[in-house]
Amino acid sequence: MSEPNHNGIDSFRNNLKSIIDSFASSFLRSGKPTSDKSRASAMFNNFFLHVQGVKTHMNTLRPTYTLGLGLISLFLLLITTVSGVVLMIYYNPSIENAYNTVKDITYVVIGGSLSRNIHKWAGEGMIIFVLFHMARVFFTGSYKKGREFNWVIGIALLVITFGINLSGYMLPWDQLSYWALVIVANIIQSPKEITDSLGITQYFDVGGFSKELFLGGLNAGKESLTRVYLLHVMLFPILMFIFLGVHFWRIRKDGGLTKPDSFEPQESDAQLFSPPEKKGGIFTTNKTYGLMELAGGRTPAVDKDVENTVLSWPNLLIAELAVFFICFAGVVVYSFFIDAPLKELANPLIPENPAKAPWYFLGLQELLSYSAFMGGVGLPGIALLGLALIPYLDREQEHVGVWFSGKQGKSVALQALLAGTPVLVGLLAFVISFGWFRNWWPNVPQLLITLVNPGNLWVVFMMLWSVWVIKKTGSTRMGAIALFTMFLVSFVILTYVGTELRGPNWGFYWSHSQWPPH
Amino acid sequence: MRNRFYIMTLFIAGVVLLAFTLFAAYKEMNPEWKAYQKEYKELLVKGTRDEATKKKARELETNIQQLYLGGLKRIDRCTSCHVGIENPLMANAKVPYRQHSGDYLKKHPMSSFGCTVCHLGQGRATNKKEAHGLAHDTHWDYPVIPLKYIQSACVQCHDLDMLKQKGADKIVKGEQLLRENGCMGCHKLNNIGGVLGKALDIIGSQPRIYFPMGFVVGEKTPYSWIKQHFDDPRAIVPVSEMKVKVTEAEADLLTTYVASLRAEEMPKSYRRILETQKDGKTSEDGEALYKKYCIACHEKGKDSLFDEIFMHTIPAIVNPAFLKVVTNDYLKKVVEEGRAGTQMTAWKASAAGLSGQAIDNIVDYLTSKRPKEKAVPFNIVALKGDLKKGEELYKVRCALCHGANGKGELGINLRNPVVQGADITFLAMTVRDGREGTPMPSFGKNGVGLSDQDIVDTVSYVKTISKKK
Repeated sequence: MSEPNHNGIDSFRNNLKSIIDSFASSFLRSGKPTSDKSRASAMFNNFFLHVQGVKTHMNTLRPTYTLGLGLISLFLLLITTVSGVVLMIYYNPSIENAYNTVKDITYVVIGGSLSRNIHKWAGEGMIIFVLFHMARVFFTGSYKKGREFNWVIGIALLVITFGINLSGYMLPWDQLSYWALVIVANIIQSPKEITDSLGITQYFDVGGFSKELFLGGLNAGKESLTRVYLLHVMLFPILMFIFLGVHFWRIRKDGGLTKPDSFEPQESDAQLFSPPEKKGGIFTTNKTYGLMELAGGRTPAVDKDVENTVLSWPNLLIAELAVFFICFAGVVVYSFFIDAPLKELANPLIPENPAKAPWYFLGLQELLSYSAFMGGVGLPGIALLGLALIPYLDREQEHVGVWFSGKQGKSVALQALLAGTPVLVGLLAFVISFGWFRNWWPNVPQLLITLVNPGNLWVVFMMLWSVWVIKKTGSTRMGAIALFTMFLVSFVILTYVGTELRGPNWGFYWSHSQWPPH
Repeated sequence: MRNRFYIMTLFIAGVVLLAFTLFAAYKEMNPEWKAYQKEYKELLVKGTRDEATKKKARELETNIQQLYLGGLKRIDRCTSCHVGIENPLMANAKVPYRQHSGDYLKKHPMSSFGCTVCHLGQGRATNKKEAHGLAHDTHWDYPVIPLKYIQSACVQCHDLDMLKQKGADKIVKGEQLLRENGCMGCHKLNNIGGVLGKALDIIGSQPRIYFPMGFVVGEKTPYSWIKQHFDDPRAIVPVSEMKVKVTEAEADLLTTYVASLRAEEMPKSYRRILETQKDGKTSEDGEALYKKYCIACHEKGKDSLFDEIFMHTIPAIVNPAFLKVVTNDYLKKVVEEGRAGTQMTAWKASAAGLSGQAIDNIVDYLTSKRPKEKAVPFNIVALKGDLKKGEELYKVRCALCHGANGKGELGINLRNPVVQGADITFLAMTVRDGREGTPMPSFGKNGVGLSDQDIVDTVSYVKTISKKK
């Protein structure tokens, strides 16, 4: 062929040769992210990435500020979801098959045992890290400055996390699953304690109704497994992802993560992110459009980007990638060494003794041993309500983005820790040594125990202490710090007691080795 | 370097992740059974001279081996390690490669039976520890059964008569021992038996937690428990009152039989039992019944014995002096109603479950030993009992053994309703003649020397003793 013919075949051949480049440019609409502008576009134009801002504040990237806890919670969720889908290939949710399919996954399926372990440990790790994340958000005052509703969304996510963990625990249909199911069903029935004391159960049996709704019958059985499976793989995940989406959306709309007003870049920050390019001079390109941003501040910004931000690409993304790898590596290492437990096949005739809920509910189960209603419904409800109301009861806007809001907050937290611990431990020691009302007066009315029991007394103490702190410091924030610290302290201590110090018949034993042989 | 901190953490975490993923992959690619199958292959290759077999052996694929047993609702993966179980070339190899002993696999092909239906264990598992299920932390309720008890599996499908002919002597002997040592005197089986011990009906299927393992020596399995319980009941269950005296070998035989009492019913196609044989009808003769239900406590019955553990005297019921004076009706009453407050259970149909005919047969057996000469009659109607004198006499003569208020310890409890309902003549004759072979002396003219009037006074008082506190 002599001259360019512009015939169809040539065009086709040229297109074929440049297929990679044309695909790349269709995929990355602004080209490879080699300039600040293209880096900005990479974030802005991507479906997944654009929920994050084009620029990120330096404070957000400091590991000591957030400890990556929110990210870890998210990544644990993703790891759990993926491993969960893998498990769904083999798991069968019927009481005849569930146990055997879990056994087969562990013994036969290639990577089955590792997948199950990853699913279990990532799932339970999520509870720990979600609680840590909540604590971080609280102590940095990040529920303020327009972020109040996002805190409430977070509390909803906390509840869903507990729910999804609990429903998963019931799926293998072994002794642990079955008796956890029975315990939870009976906790759901605990309003009966109140309606019985008031004598209105025959008219208004909300406890019994809820229990039957949950179990799909009067007893834990095949219908219960189906419902729990539905909750675990469908309803809770859907809720989780919807609320998570709103949670991220609100982060963006609320202006990203909080930062202290007194923020100044440090020397040490240099290793965390790359500064913006110094393209220098004006009129470097012919393009007259670009990223527009509104910025505050009065002084010119020299050698740094507006308002102490850096480009998200690559700074935020590489930080997120690093956190993901740490998270995933941690899960894989843990799952490599430690197997998810599986006991004997569920046997309705042989209760576990002690029949314990999974560890994250054992603090509640300890409270349950004082009063079914308060431990199962009352106190958790009060706790969740209290947590949700924090941003509305403490509306001070100072010291946001500073851990403990400064020195005073640190000492308030420490005092709450030092005061709360002995009081709670003392209450528990008292109950363990001397019992409670029914041990002393066998005919005492149940309603009195429901109203006056160690769990309630502790909550009353917490509230009185925080009110005292508010009065003394003149600050609702300080009161909130005291209350939240005590809440964390009681969660840890009660969970420890329920896990390590309670044996058969919920009796007190200093250690496992002292339990009576069966 | 820019982003140095995050790049470093990313790198380190990535290396750790990669390393452990590789470790996990390695672990996945080298499960326990692979080593066994490799060694099996080598044994095969070494063991034959024949080139064709060697070639076949080398080409064997290493894979999980499993038997899917739909009818039995199981999957058995034992052959993943026990590869040579059907291979005659492996007849002398070491376990786990050795061929199955005997010709059992001919009549019980692996493809229909698998392994766990006889040997128990966790068929689905693919490593030794969990497949054998012996350790407590395997959380498996049916560990592999020791070979000495293996015959306990046969009765799931075969009846004992057939097993006797085919040489399954252990289970047959075990069943005979159970039947002839009075075990059902305290343990119900097929709804008939005493209630001092637990029912034996599905004991072979009970989960591990059913057995208090605190004092079991060695492996904590139900079989160890049962065997050691036969050896010395109170070493395993301190509060047990079980009376048993068997040799070590007999204990093993009994364990074989007890372990065979399982809940699971084999599908009909597997069973070779005739429906009519397995029931509790007791049309057996009196002696067989006595051995089944009574002999454990009453032994030969000629002498009474004070049992240290029962803290009661076990009466001599085949005692000639006793049989001379007792009526058949009274004997029947005692057997039917039992002796409340003692270890003697009520054997009537509504209680321990023996039919009226069965009890009659037992009574006939007992009274068949009755001496020919009759007891000297006691003319009680002519005499009237003086209760006050009787009370004094009782305090002096009887209270030592029968207790101040008749409750008894060495002597029987006189307050018992059945004793109270006995014919007064019988009581009087007993007191007069005593009971040779027991601690009860003769109080009449030939013994202690009480007159007939004294005796009538005493037994009249005894008849009122249950009204006293």
